[in-house]
Amino acid sequence: MAIYVFVLGEMIVFSVLSANFLTAANLGNIALNAADLALIAAGMTLVIILGGIDVAVGSVLGLLALISGTATLAGVNPWLIVVLAVVLGTAIGALHGLIVTKGMVSPIIATIGLLAVWRAVHFSLWGGSDLFAPPISLLLVERFAGIPGVAFLVLVVYGGLAYVMRFRSFGRNVYAIGNDAEAARLAGIRVTRTTIGAFALLGGLVGVAALVFMSRTGVIQAYSGQGLELAVIAAVVVGGTSITGGRGAILGTLGGVVFVAVLQNGVVLLGVPPLWNGLLLGAFILLAVSIDAIVNRRAARRERAL
Amino acid sequence: MSSPTHVHRPGLDLSRMLSDRRLFLVLVTIATGVVMSLLSPFFLSVDNILNITKFGVVIGLLALGQTLVILGGGGGIDLSVGSMLGLSGICMGLMVNAGVNVWVAAVITLGIGLLLGAFNGVLVTVIGIPSLIATLGTLYAYESAAFVAAKGVTITGFAQAGYPFLGQGKILGVPAQVVLALIPAYLLVGAMTGYHRFGRRIYEVGNNERAASLVGISPARVRFVLYGISGLLAGLGAVVTNSWLLAARPGAGGNLVLQTITIAVLGGTYIFGGRGSVSGTLLAVVFIVVLSSGLQLAGVDQIWQLGALGALLVLTVMVNNLFTARSGSR
Repeated sequence: MAIYVFVLGEMIVFSVLSANFLTAANLGNIALNAADLALIAAGMTLVIILGGIDVAVGSVLGLLALISGTATLAGVNPWLIVVLAVVLGTAIGALHGLIVTKGMVSPIIATIGLLAVWRAVHFSLWGGSDLFAPPISLLLVERFAGIPGVAFLVLVVYGGLAYVMRFRSFGRNVYAIGNDAEAARLAGIRVTRTTIGAFALLGGLVGVAALVFMSRTGVIQAYSGQGLELAVIAAVVVGGTSITGGRGAILGTLGGVVFVAVLQNGVVLLGVPPLWNGLLLGAFILLAVSIDAIVNRRAARRERAL
Repeated sequence: MSSPTHVHRPGLDLSRMLSDRRLFLVLVTIATGVVMSLLSPFFLSVDNILNITKFGVVIGLLALGQTLVILGGGGGIDLSVGSMLGLSGICMGLMVNAGVNVWVAAVITLGIGLLLGAFNGVLVTVIGIPSLIATLGTLYAYESAAFVAAKGVTITGFAQAGYPFLGQGKILGVPAQVVLALIPAYLLVGAMTGYHRFGRRIYEVGNNERAASLVGISPARVRFVLYGISGLLAGLGAVVTNSWLLAARPGAGGNLVLQTITIAVLGGTYIFGGRGSVSGTLLAVVFIVVLSSGLQLAGVDQIWQLGALGALLVLTVMVNNLFTARSGSR
């Protein structure tokens, strides 16, 4: 997992350049700020390995955060809100999977369209002014020995998914479909059901991420979550998952998330104006992916030469 | 659909006619026009129709580039079209404010667009990064570079040397930007895809990469050129935008990418390449412009228009698949 080498290098550079980087408080901040990104990226990894993609996650996060925030302010029981967000997210994800499989719409086209649809729904429910909501649970944002509570949730999700992808038939089916969907079908794998399952799982995680987002920022706006899909896909791809499917790993994505989050944090600490954020992130994505592409091609050429 | 490899069967084939996206688009455009004219008597006036054509220019230029990149196959897609427009527009603003003649700056801006597109081409064809990721990276990078170069603010100072005429003037009642930018671009690219050798190569590479390279066509070279053209068209879009608004905004290209993909796909371009046409894209531009100006007249909010567009994109592809599945099973 080459990504962890990049992360290490990045952390060394930022530690040297800024005295504030390698402090418990700052690392805790990074973990808290990256939690929603991490949760969505975990689900996205499955969908991308399967040969799909979902660019509507940012819109769905905004919508679910708005619904959860409204429910919180109305005094609904927090546990009920958790169930609501996860169930709604799962249903929306399943709908995406259904459109991709039964509707035979390519995932990028389907979710580009749905991105706009969910944003419009969000906008219609949005009251016209920012919604300030209290955290769904203080456990998420409080720190235990300097570590925000939500970090444990993230680790449990990654651990669980890493186990599923390696040792359960669902995980193996996801890889098989990503490698060759037709061959997988012939081998008796239920392609439609697995695909819908992966999209639904991603949707459920977006639901959890929406609760984290709401608890961490305390405010939901008309454009909350916009552009998040780009950071998520960047984290997954930088983490070594092949965008064309079939190859990748959950734990690589965790490295990708850390890479993106540390970069965003370090840039702020160094006093680089926020306008530079996209430029640096874009440049680092391209650099990391270029190195990966060139190394892979070398390896392929060497294999052919043998 | 409309690729040159398509074999025409003699006789009237209703389902084939219905599945030709261009006929479908003409019909729904007329239907939308009729509905809109019922909502507002002004809609079908010559003045209004000529006036709304200018809302199709910038988006039409970007959609044309998007169509070419998708046609070239290999998972080609250009997510950076809006960012290229934003960045090249800002570069033009900086040049004009540094005292460069506005028309000279416009020509250089086309060159900047071409370079930005060519850089996408290098990432995809030389380095071998999948198109989606490469242009996602440059979507970020170009847009942010535009904000950095403009220091986050809007740049003005374009009102000189007759330049505003391009975006605001009229030629025989038709907006000048339609006559001077949109029509020439579509004629040139249409002639290229329809009649020139290079156009045929685009379809060959898009349809079957391996077969194309066996007959000596380099898929990488063809696709590189397509990314370059997409950038050039985005540069032209920036020149038109600056002349129209007399201001360059770093975020000018923000929401445009969804629309360009919707238009290309609506126009019959197959998302995996090799099938589609410039005329289909043009008809889709016309439809989108009629639809969104109609919705505007009906007082529908912009965000709902975008949502409607998204739903339309998904539904078009689903209905189309239904048709192809049916005609395939016969």
